[in-house]
Amino acid sequence: MSARHKYLKTLFTNKSEGNLPQLIIAENENLQSKFVVQKILELREEGIPLEEISVLFRSSFLSFDLEIELAKSNIPFRKFGGFKFIETAHVKDMIAYLRVLENPRDVVAWNRILLIIDGVGPRSAEKIIEDILHRRADKANFWKDYNRYPQSVRELFELLKSISTDKLPPAEKASRIITYYHPMMKKKFDDHTKRKKDLEMFEQIAERYKDVGSFLTDLVLEPPNESIADIEPVGSDDEYLTLSTIHSAKGLEWHSVFIVYALDGRFPTMYAANNVEELEEERRLMYVACTRAKEYLFITYPINIYDRESGTILTKPSRFLEGLNEKLLEPWVVDEEG
Amino acid sequence: MKKYTLKKPADGLHIVHPQRFQIDYKNELNKAQYETVTSVNGPHLIIAGAGTGKTRTIVYRVAYLVELGVKPEHILMLTFTRKAAQEMLRRASILLDHRCERVSGGTFHSFANSILRKYSNLIGYERNFTILDQGDAEDVMSLIRTRLKLDTRERRFPRKETLYGLYSRSVNTMTSLNQMLSIDYPHYLEDEPDIRKVHELYTEYKITHNTMDYDDLLLNFNKLLKQNEPVRAESSNHFKYIMVDEYQDTNKLQAEMIKLLAFKHQNIMVVGDDSQAIYAFRGATIRNILDFPEEFPSCKTIKLEENYRSTQAILNVANEILKRAID
Ligand SMILES: Nc1ncnc2c1ncn2[C@@H]1O[C@H](COP(=O)(O)OP(=O)(O)OP(=O)(O)O)[C@@H](O)[C@H]1O
Ligand SMILES: [Mg+2]
Repeated sequence: MSARHKYLKTLFTNKSEGNLPQLIIAENENLQSKFVVQKILELREEGIPLEEISVLFRSSFLSFDLEIELAKSNIPFRKFGGFKFIETAHVKDMIAYLRVLENPRDVVAWNRILLIIDGVGPRSAEKIIEDILHRRADKANFWKDYNRYPQSVRELFELLKSISTDKLPPAEKASRIITYYHPMMKKKFDDHTKRKKDLEMFEQIAERYKDVGSFLTDLVLEPPNESIADIEPVGSDDEYLTLSTIHSAKGLEWHSVFIVYALDGRFPTMYAANNVEELEEERRLMYVACTRAKEYLFITYPINIYDRESGTILTKPSRFLEGLNEKLLEPWVVDEEG
Repeated sequence: MKKYTLKKPADGLHIVHPQRFQIDYKNELNKAQYETVTSVNGPHLIIAGAGTGKTRTIVYRVAYLVELGVKPEHILMLTFTRKAAQEMLRRASILLDHRCERVSGGTFHSFANSILRKYSNLIGYERNFTILDQGDAEDVMSLIRTRLKLDTRERRFPRKETLYGLYSRSVNTMTSLNQMLSIDYPHYLEDEPDIRKVHELYTEYKITHNTMDYDDLLLNFNKLLKQNEPVRAESSNHFKYIMVDEYQDTNKLQAEMIKLLAFKHQNIMVVGDDSQAIYAFRGATIRNILDFPEEFPSCKTIKLEENYRSTQAILNVANEILKRAID
């Protein structure tokens, strides 16, 4: 993908020259977070609503420390991109129950919900699935003499039977599945209280649908982006700050944009550094990030970050920014006072 | 009494006198944007940098087409997320009126899904097929790997994630397995026959169990339209005006989709910025946008140049980042 294939363009505007974007070094990760929080509070003092501010990062995990600092300062935020709600094990379990209702031949879904049951291992699951495929493949025969199955599996069938009617709305089905699933979830996960909230959200989303089929399709094709845990609205008003991966920020714009962790080895990632094409994709990602900002652009990076994989300490700014003329990108260092 | 004389028509298709429009397009758009909005028929490529109003221009074009009398249902707007599509239609509705909400909009995958539900029997599926997400697809790979006893061999066999990754990439970049193994996993080259077997069984599994993965939605859509002339004609006749935002991040299957859909009328406008291509890692290819003029020879290319979003100071940094790109 070489430059000569490209449609050449240099961006220009008739808007004012504006303030210089800043490249800000923080001595460590937490200082970076504290700086960003303070700056956000200052911007809000200036009258810029949280809606008009975003913090962008290369990878989803890079915002964890910042999320803690934001919560401490009661700044409500929503996070986009990265690990999705439906990719969590407990929500996938929920989806699997609904999937077998919709399509009894969906073997992976059967496998999943059978293995959740205490005492059902891969081999007995396979046997049951064989039986299902051969004797119950169509909906008419589905509920015939499942009494031969072990008690625990019978319970599953009883649940499914009770919610198989089209008359029940999806939310009601979800609610009954949750009741059935909850004791098993308690055994399976230590953090089940937090996960319970996700299931409540799952039920809440189901409320919007009339039939299970379209609910399932939407979950897979248009997955809700945030888990309930990501939306910690500490303030009661709806105003919130956006945290987002750059991938999920495309096409959007904010008055003020922070790009955090613009640290070589994190952005570009270590992994991309070995391959020219991937590196160029990372460069375009930086371009996308910068061009989200209307008035203020703050690019920050922490130093002294230990990289486990390479066993090295990361200290340099992203190579896409290093050596950029100081008249274009003003260098600053976060200084801790008092 | 009025006198009528003849004069040469201006560029483009101006059937209706501007005064009859509710929206003052000329005033609210710059010259290139206006040209884009009022270019109605034929293939169009809008190529422009960040913040130059690409998305805004599409929104105005939706309104313009509706004002011209095109039925909203006949307009198809494909974007990267449903949220983006909804937001654009919401804006078009504010600009014009609620008719714009009836425009068909969404992602390539959700659009393909809606058509496939309608015609599933034509490609050997039942209407209630379920969709496998990446994790499910990997689980199926694992199931097959176990069934073939490939996991118990002494030598290492690719993990389920790798098996699915190879499968998906070969499908949506239309690259052969052999080629991909040679480039990314030369140490698995001698396993090619076994990997191929796993992939074959995976394909079979999906059909017998009435499931599709993400790529299948696009693949089967194309298959459906290619194999069934009446469905192809009906779809193309229905979606008379097609627009795609963020075209730089589409894959080969998606390029094929729009070609099939537009075959009757070629009324296809794609909008994008090759400098913002960020999904190659998932099989998107910048070739789609670069090759568009060759795929649609009568294509008209329009460039939008002025940025309305950022201050010049911010643009200077952005320009500098791109300028240092490696050839
Ligand atoms: N002619 C115009 N007059 C006033 N504002 C405009 C004009 N064109 C675009 N804008 C504004 O500029 C901003 C950027 O527009 P838009 O998001 O459509 O750009 P884009 O090219 O789609 O950007 P990206 O490449 O990031 O997707 C928006 O706030 C939009 O309203
Ligand atoms: Mg846009």
